Amino acid sequence: MLDWLLLTLQMLFFPGLVFQFAGAMVFEWIYRVSIASLEGRIGPPWYQPLMDFLKLISKEDILPKSANRWAATLLPVFSMACVFTAGMYVPFAGTVFDSFEGDLVMVVILLSVPSLGYFLNGWATGGSYSLIGANRSLLQYFSYEVPFLTAVAGPAFMAGSWSIIVIKDYQSQFLSLVFLAPLGFLVALVALIGKLKRNPFDIPKAKSEIVAGPLTETSGESLALWHLTLQVQALIGIFLLVNLFLGKVYPGALVNFLFFLGKAVAVQILLGLISVGYARTSIANLTDIGWKVLVPLSLLQFLVLVIVKGLA
Amino acid sequence: MSRLVIPIGPQHPILKEPISLKVEVEGENITHVDLQIGFVHRGIEKLVESLNWVQAVPLIERICGICSHVHTTTYCQGVEQLAGIEVPKRALYLRTLMCELERIHSHLLWLGIVGRNIGQEAMFMYAWRDRELVMDVMEAFSGGRVSHQANTIGGVRFDPSPAETAAAQKLLAELESKVVALRNIVEHSESFISRTAGMGVMNRDDIRRYGLLGPVARASGVDFDLRRDRPYSVYPELDFKVIVRREGDVWARAMVRVEETMQSIAICHHIINKLPGGAVSVKAPRRVPVGEVISRTEAPRGEVVYYIRSEGGEHPARVKVRTPTLPTLASFPELLQGVSIADMTVIISGADLCIACADR
Repeated sequence: MLDWLLLTLQMLFFPGLVFQFAGAMVFEWIYRVSIASLEGRIGPPWYQPLMDFLKLISKEDILPKSANRWAATLLPVFSMACVFTAGMYVPFAGTVFDSFEGDLVMVVILLSVPSLGYFLNGWATGGSYSLIGANRSLLQYFSYEVPFLTAVAGPAFMAGSWSIIVIKDYQSQFLSLVFLAPLGFLVALVALIGKLKRNPFDIPKAKSEIVAGPLTETSGESLALWHLTLQVQALIGIFLLVNLFLGKVYPGALVNFLFFLGKAVAVQILLGLISVGYARTSIANLTDIGWKVLVPLSLLQFLVLVIVKGLA
Repeated sequence: MSRLVIPIGPQHPILKEPISLKVEVEGENITHVDLQIGFVHRGIEKLVESLNWVQAVPLIERICGICSHVHTTTYCQGVEQLAGIEVPKRALYLRTLMCELERIHSHLLWLGIVGRNIGQEAMFMYAWRDRELVMDVMEAFSGGRVSHQANTIGGVRFDPSPAETAAAQKLLAELESKVVALRNIVEHSESFISRTAGMGVMNRDDIRRYGLLGPVARASGVDFDLRRDRPYSVYPELDFKVIVRREGDVWARAMVRVEETMQSIAICHHIINKLPGGAVSVKAPRRVPVGEVISRTEAPRGEVVYYIRSEGGEHPARVKVRTPTLPTLASFPELLQGVSIADMTVIISGADLCIACADR
């Protein structure tokens, strides 16, 4: 009985719904403010992402007649559920809800489900911008997912486990893996930008080309959930990278907590820096970047790690 | 993949003003473009005929929201020629000063919009932030940021004091350093070059065939600038360089525009230093003698031509406006053939359209 209660509380509060929602809002705000300051703007107040969410969710969900209402309503809910579930298994400052051998694979797969939902949403809602955006998002998915997996496999190989918490603990014994696998970290970072569809890889929703891509016809509650999904995906993606590449744990709960948070914020600001610095790539360029640059780099990194582990 | 028609306009994020491009795509590539214009036709040419010569000036100013001053300059210049009015030197200098300020403002605005359309939001923010400086100068002079109401037949309606021109020079010097930074981004940013170089290439024959003008033509190696080659107003007394590039792509157009911005800042300094004293306007007659005239000026986007005819009355008998945007629009169906949707955005925004000018 108590187990069930605890489980429910964990799912609802920490590390479940409330914690991830709040974290996503805070990190979204950090992202916006870091971009704004780089662009010479002031940026929104801290509650802006929350207000955006509340406003959208209170609005009416309008869809074109040709849209499949069932699919358009269920896809964001399903995608959101997937990223929230993934978030349950990513350790936050050393504490984790549950872990098992192979949870890294599960988290990566759950994090990529929204990409599929995003693609399907474009087809379900109809409209020419949505269709083109949907096709682009799938093409983009194939460009970043392989380098992301190869980059993430490096730390798993070093630690000899597919469990995130084991990989993190492995780094506590020596040093953070980013020093050993800087290329892998960079590739994972770039692939994460592709996953989150942020500039310069906001190709599926390129505003000046196809308006809002697969989400063009989506509105109201569904749109709010889609935005939330992407924001939580960003949060979990960042936490995942911090655990895998910057996982060194420091003694003392508070120190460790602050270090973890600092690293996560730093990664978010780094993402913002990359976003501001580059113009949007075209889809042909992205497949080039994905397969001709990121994949070879991540394989090279893997090779280096194999050699290092062989020597050690 | 089957063919799909995507509507670019009348409302679309890349367009500031409404045109309609029905773009037929196969996958990512454009196979056919159907262009429609006329969404902001306001009948200004006809409306001008019902007003008297002076009343027409504020209406003509509203042809365009960006190059408003150049339209009134062209109109006033034509009417003055028709009526044989001797405009004071100071007025001509001030009029030209405003034209050049407007060119700076227009080119920076364009640069920001291109930055935004290729997904480099930072460039938009910086270009538009820097543009505020020149807007401040124009506001200090005339009281208006966009519609200046600076021209009237027989002169100008503003007379800056030496203190005001000194303040303007200070702002312009500040602007210059910022435009240098923007030029460096355009010239060297790997990311910007990769999106603009080789896009929408037009050679000199294409330019001639469509009758394209202004920075677009100069970026394709057409060495023609009305300010130098058919000098009007006080341009013969000013010293400036005409920027020409040979690449003919959107990147070259960007380079021509930022370099021209630098030149315009230099011209503004030059004008303020040489500014003669005296009156800024003379009284214009109510009636203009019978006759017709063609007045031409170099607007930020190219050559603006006014045909003005008088039948001796208080009203213009006909005012016909030709703006440089129309031929640019005409070149789109061919230019966009076979390019991808991502490049289409660059090509459309690289042309610096002014639909309000084209539709009137």
